[in-house]
Amino acid sequence: MAVGSYEEICADAGAIEVDRRFADKILLPGFVEGHSHIMEGIVWTMPYVGAGDRRSPEGLLVQGIRDVEGIIERLREAADKLSDPDTPLFAWGFDPLHIGGQQLTRWHLDQVSTTRPIMVIHASFHISNVNTLILDRAGLLGPIDISGVVVDEDGRPTGELQGIAARFRVFRMLGGNPLSANLTTDDVNRYAASACIQGVTTITDLHSDLPDNTVDLYRAAAERDDFPIRLVPALASASHSPDDGIAKIERLKQENRPKLHFGIVKLVIDGSIQGFTARVRWPGYHNGASNGLWYVAPEELPRIVERYHRAGIQLHIHTNGDEATELALDAIEAAQTAMPRPDHRHTLQHCQMADAALFRRMRALGVCVNLFANHVYYWGDSHYEQTMGPERAHRLNATGTAQRIGVPYAIHSDAPVTPLGPLFTAWCAVNRVSSGGRVLGRETEALTVAQALAGVTIGAAYTLKLDHVVGSIEVGKFADFAVLEEDPFEVVPEGLKDIPVWGTVVGGHVHKAPGE
Amino acid sequence: MIAAQAAIPMTVVGGFLGAGKTTFLNRLISEAEGRYAVLVNDFGAINVDANLIAHHDGTTIALTNGCVCCSVGGGFIEALGGLLDAGGKFDHIIVEASGVGDPWRIAEIALVEPMLRLNATIVLVDAARIEMLLADPQVGATVRSQFERCDVVLLNKIDLIDRLSLERARDVVEQVCSNACVIETSQASMPNLASLHQRPARSPFYAQPCAVDSADHEITFRRWSYQRDGQFDRSRLALALAALPPELLRLKGACRLAGEANSALLQMAGRAWSLTDAGSEESSGIALVGIGTTSLPDRLELDDILDHALA
Repeated sequence: MAVGSYEEICADAGAIEVDRRFADKILLPGFVEGHSHIMEGIVWTMPYVGAGDRRSPEGLLVQGIRDVEGIIERLREAADKLSDPDTPLFAWGFDPLHIGGQQLTRWHLDQVSTTRPIMVIHASFHISNVNTLILDRAGLLGPIDISGVVVDEDGRPTGELQGIAARFRVFRMLGGNPLSANLTTDDVNRYAASACIQGVTTITDLHSDLPDNTVDLYRAAAERDDFPIRLVPALASASHSPDDGIAKIERLKQENRPKLHFGIVKLVIDGSIQGFTARVRWPGYHNGASNGLWYVAPEELPRIVERYHRAGIQLHIHTNGDEATELALDAIEAAQTAMPRPDHRHTLQHCQMADAALFRRMRALGVCVNLFANHVYYWGDSHYEQTMGPERAHRLNATGTAQRIGVPYAIHSDAPVTPLGPLFTAWCAVNRVSSGGRVLGRETEALTVAQALAGVTIGAAYTLKLDHVVGSIEVGKFADFAVLEEDPFEVVPEGLKDIPVWGTVVGGHVHKAPGE
Repeated sequence: MIAAQAAIPMTVVGGFLGAGKTTFLNRLISEAEGRYAVLVNDFGAINVDANLIAHHDGTTIALTNGCVCCSVGGGFIEALGGLLDAGGKFDHIIVEASGVGDPWRIAEIALVEPMLRLNATIVLVDAARIEMLLADPQVGATVRSQFERCDVVLLNKIDLIDRLSLERARDVVEQVCSNACVIETSQASMPNLASLHQRPARSPFYAQPCAVDSADHEITFRRWSYQRDGQFDRSRLALALAALPPELLRLKGACRLAGEANSALLQMAGRAWSLTDAGSEESSGIALVGIGTTSLPDRLELDDILDHALA
């Protein structure tokens, strides 16, 4: 890419053709989504029943549903489209916290069908609701006392299933989990289309076992000119010993090419705040819930971190609660002490509860952070009322603190947990307002529009060690642009999320977003 | 539907990081009686004698003694599902729970999956560290939950501590799980599944009242069998099971249910229980076997509780 005025660029170029197609558009650096998952490309094989509006990979606006009756209606429409009467109907995106705590029971789902298996997967992907037929066939209709099979006050299973035993049994009975089947080219293409629709040109798949099938699909896709994204997959630490992980990363890096970048490893330390599985420090959960779960033993973490650190591999560490964040920083500090490594850029992912002191430690240790700005909108009310209480809810995802203290930061969607869309993510960080209209910590933690846009471009590129090739419009970098219909610096901050995206340019190839 | 008789026994092995799970698993594999399938978290730690390896393909090690060892790297549900898809190839499935996981959550799979039946949940505890770990603000709750609901605690590494420390360790373990069978072990004296089976004293599931080999501790179990010609009412059975005393550790067997053609397999462990379709119409009536601690109430008292559930 060359940058400059017509005269500066073309003076010595001889006879050239000027492409003016974007004369009335705004070109920004292509957006970089530093924390999302290929699952975004898989879920759209199912109907969406979440509360917020979303865009499908075809570019269609899919309306959110805010009551149980509406969910039943949408499931009926989806069931009507299935020709085989026995095919299970799966749907995704439900979260009772987003519709005032309304529960979806098997009796609701029985109104859709009593003869077809129906499963609604929650936005968290950890919980599901099924109809009576599934419970009956799986032998879970009860009376039963298995943790994870939720029962009402009369001891009758409600159809809500959590935990591994119920999941194992139900998916075996149904013939498999559609979300964990082998990845297909269509899934990868849908993911790329969803990115293009939102102006994203570089995107992570931030937790993958990276089996051969997935690597083959990614490699083949990255070779295509019409493939509109640069993919950055992160190897899941949980499924590999550090030795195996290091060897695998070294092998995978041989596959790197302009639109495929292996090299980072993802490490998950705790769960989620709204699921009460994040590890939080005193005073714990606001509603008195017991502390969350470790996904890695605290004494094992330093050993894992040090192995990857010594091997020169960048770690992306999921820490939702502040106790988990502290533990991650302890491990990085020990690794840095054992073997100082300049510019390691280990990055804390989510890092939602960190206070200023933890940010100061990040800065001292050279740690980056990728904050979950969308959470303020989607679960801000739950955090205020139930999980963290007022004071800590205000400092949730403390982008302003990161900015002031000088920790390199990005902001993200964690799609499909929340919708992919960097302009929306930037809007969240600028406005800090919950879906219920509650303003959370705006005076101390809100970003300016310029800072927020940096968080979804060069800031995110920096956390992926790709800031030398993407994230800004500079001579020598890839010609990656988000093509917008309006100038984000001209619209009011409240309007940031509503700016239409025309499409993208990736490496000079123009991709008009699919849509209506 | 698979008949209950064909269900593969599943044993879950849990315990916090460093408790000795891998040593125990190695023992189980090398002294296997029958074809075991072992699901482990980390291959690297499993130290299988190279002479025993028949085949190694990256996710599965097949051994010359008929056992296989599988990594759960690609997902636990898929790995366990794959073993069940292999049909009757295995006599026993052993699952290693993660060092921070709750083994009981995995054990529950065997209560709801008709192709499996729960054999035992065995949790290893590092005798030298358990008191400190339980008091630790970071991991105390995790460690406690791991052996709150297990059948056997292997109180391990007793050779590394003195007698007084051992007694303290035993006390804190028994405070958390008063109903489990606690067996003292060290790296050199690990039991295998066969010894747990053959010497009933070591395990409640095969128990007749008798003493454990442990020199200075005596653990005994009481057995209770319940047989009736009739059938249970489902909802009254739920109430009756809830009314059974905590001294009853396990209850298992076939029963008929009012209004249902097939007989059902009842499995109860601790306070959790399940009823699965046994798939056959042959068995008539109710035949259950229970195991409890020595303070299990009189059999007539127990019979009376379940009689209330008869249809």
